[in-house]
Amino acid sequence: MRPDERKGVVAARRDQFPVGMRVLAVDDDPVCLKVLETLLLRCQYHVSTTNQAAIALKMLRENRDMFDLVISDVHMPDMDGFKLLELVGLEMDLPVIMLSVNGETKTVMKGITHGACDYLLKPVRIEELRNIWQHVVRRKFSTRDRANLDIYEECNKPSNADSDHAHGHVTCGSPDQSGRPSKKRKEYYSEEEDEGEEDNTQETDDPSAPKKPRVVWSVELHRKFVAAVNQLGIDKAVPKRILELMNVEKLTRENVASHLQKYRLYLKRLSAVASQQVSIVAALGGRDPFLHMGAFEGLQGYQAFTSSTSLSSFTPHGLINSPRNNPAAFGTQRVSASKSIQTVTGGHALNHSICDANKYHLSSPGNQQGNLGQGMATSLGQTQMQPKWIQEETDDLSTIFSGNGLANSGMSATLQGVTSSPLLPQELVECTQVKVGSQPSVLTPSVSSGHLEGTVGVSSSLLDPRVSQQTTIPLSEFSASGLPIHGLFNNSCATKLGATSSASTPVHPSDDLLVARDTKAGASSFGSTMLLPPDTEQKYLNFGGGNSFKHKFDERTADSLFDLKFVWSSGLSSQSASNIGAHHSISQRWNNSSSNNSNIGARMIGQPSSSASTVAPHAKSDFLISGDMLVPKNASDLSVPKLQSELSSSSCSFDGLLNSIIKVEKDDVSFSDDLGCSDFYSLGACI
Amino acid sequence: MAGAALRDQLSALLSSMFSQGLVDEQFEQLQMLQDEGGTPGFVAEVVTLFCDDAERIIAEIATLLEQPIVSFDKVDAFVHQLKGSSASVGAQKVKFTCMQFRQFCQEKSRDGCLMALAVVRNEFYDLRNKFQTMLQLEQQIQAYDHKQQ
Repeated sequence: MRPDERKGVVAARRDQFPVGMRVLAVDDDPVCLKVLETLLLRCQYHVSTTNQAAIALKMLRENRDMFDLVISDVHMPDMDGFKLLELVGLEMDLPVIMLSVNGETKTVMKGITHGACDYLLKPVRIEELRNIWQHVVRRKFSTRDRANLDIYEECNKPSNADSDHAHGHVTCGSPDQSGRPSKKRKEYYSEEEDEGEEDNTQETDDPSAPKKPRVVWSVELHRKFVAAVNQLGIDKAVPKRILELMNVEKLTRENVASHLQKYRLYLKRLSAVASQQVSIVAALGGRDPFLHMGAFEGLQGYQAFTSSTSLSSFTPHGLINSPRNNPAAFGTQRVSASKSIQTVTGGHALNHSICDANKYHLSSPGNQQGNLGQGMATSLGQTQMQPKWIQEETDDLSTIFSGNGLANSGMSATLQGVTSSPLLPQELVECTQVKVGSQPSVLTPSVSSGHLEGTVGVSSSLLDPRVSQQTTIPLSEFSASGLPIHGLFNNSCATKLGATSSASTPVHPSDDLLVARDTKAGASSFGSTMLLPPDTEQKYLNFGGGNSFKHKFDERTADSLFDLKFVWSSGLSSQSASNIGAHHSISQRWNNSSSNNSNIGARMIGQPSSSASTVAPHAKSDFLISGDMLVPKNASDLSVPKLQSELSSSSCSFDGLLNSIIKVEKDDVSFSDDLGCSDFYSLGACI
Repeated sequence: MAGAALRDQLSALLSSMFSQGLVDEQFEQLQMLQDEGGTPGFVAEVVTLFCDDAERIIAEIATLLEQPIVSFDKVDAFVHQLKGSSASVGAQKVKFTCMQFRQFCQEKSRDGCLMALAVVRNEFYDLRNKFQTMLQLEQQIQAYDHKQQ
């Protein structure tokens, strides 16, 4: 096809595209099905119908390339619509629209958390159906598996501008969106490189060509799979081990690998949907007390970014993934070897955070702009700055820290020393709770087998009235974390707000920079939890599954200002609602936030890591600060028990976070992208 | 002339159905779908489907409510289904009574459910009569038109 002709086709397709879109309608109710079918036909779609979910699944499995979209009723006797939705989401990458006469928020939410791209109420109006093709287009640009879209392939391929255009609709217009789609594709490719041949087979599969005998992932089989993944931890779940754990005959490593990939995509998709939702909520909830706070003033502006992020690769997952994106795209980091590509994450996130910072800046004029500016500067120079940083700070970390301790003498602090060694994660995270009157003592993590690992977390919570101030300070040998902690300390004390922050400084002599990313991801999810209004969380928890947890977290993350990227960008700086600043301004920032009486979730994670692969020792430190500050007036909104549970859950995830950090460090494997999940799981477990 | 009279009768019936709230704009949409979409008999088909299905569901619910131990979840599922199909056909009153019915299901009140069932049944029979009249009129009109040609 000639180029110009192709352009023409694109345009033409866009005009007539929805015509002939292949829709599978599933409803056990003959009346509804008949009406739905007629309406769909009226929209000039190509419609197939069935009144049984099982048949629908069979049809989809046998002719997976024959459908573009599935519309399914929620209540069906043979198979719950949600199950169908889940299976479809896992096995084939088709957009599924749920349909029900029941519009309760809970049910709708369940549909969305299970991955539905839309939820329509009966009776469906033709106006709604005329629009559903958008889900097909959207999915096309947000998925790598374009197998199901083969007829629109040309629509997809032609130009970047084209895809950018479509992407823009989806992403609410982040300033950085141009070029993102291509990044995303790169991400996929590099992901494959990391994960080995099984992915390549996937990608190179011609959608239309018959494949090797397919394994049908029954509910049972999938359950085993999920159990195995959970047992291993999503981060450690490599196909081979999953296969061993599943112990199912005739299942090959490739099958598992492929399914694992889909599973991850599935999780990612859920998170994307979730954060989209959140952004809507955030936009609508401008009057919410939470949003009133200075901290959240920037939220609106920020939100756009967040949601767009999640759409592409910026969910915690995505974030972790993104590192593997083309380094060149960011230009911030000059990474030579493939191993160090991971470093790029910083860069990637960095870019976005910068844009964001801009937005943020604009939207919250009253807040410490100075800091913000600083933060931006820092973020811009992140890569270059960090090395220095670490060096400086490393030298006298202990000093700084003890200084802090003294300064904070008024508060009773619980020091949590986490000793880590490259052993089992659980063993690694040994928490000793020491009540320190006025002078927190610092527990130095043990150094073993040449790995320097220190994890320091500081968490203070005032959520529980009885606990005046609980501060957990994980200290590392790296002062980078020490400083922010200081600020946190002071301020949380003063504000009587509950804040939890954790700073971890995994230092790894090896080339593996993933650690940092992982930590970050975990952190973000952690922080997000705390940000959740308890009741919302409750709802989410009801959904039960690990997925929904993950979802929740993602949402939270999206929700929170302290988005990873932000944090990343500022490098050392922690981010509380309104400010991004350099490390030394952290305390200021905290003060600021406290004075704002804002409900702030911030988390700090510092992770310097050095990479041998780069020419000069590459060090990076990032801080995320997340905590929950509950202002009295808001306190009324949140019931104490719930808060507590929230707290405990977060501490759980904190552990999980530590675990995962350590885990990753231990075996240098790059599966960071699902680390978040493992956290979620652990959270789920403890709730 | 007879044809026109039949049409008048039909439209009078339909407007009374709308004004009584038996059917709502969804039903109107179905009619439009039929008229504009060139799918004759579509409304008749849906209405027939609905009547058969609703009758079956009502019978199922009645059976369930006769059990010594009523499974309200099952009852609720059926009511939900009835609500879905009545919503799809635009049978507004039946839909509303289904919504009340579901409350009794949630309260697990057998008496409430029996009462609600009676109401649903009445509404449904009322509507079904009208539907049947409507279908008969349509058939007559069709037959008349046929003859004319």
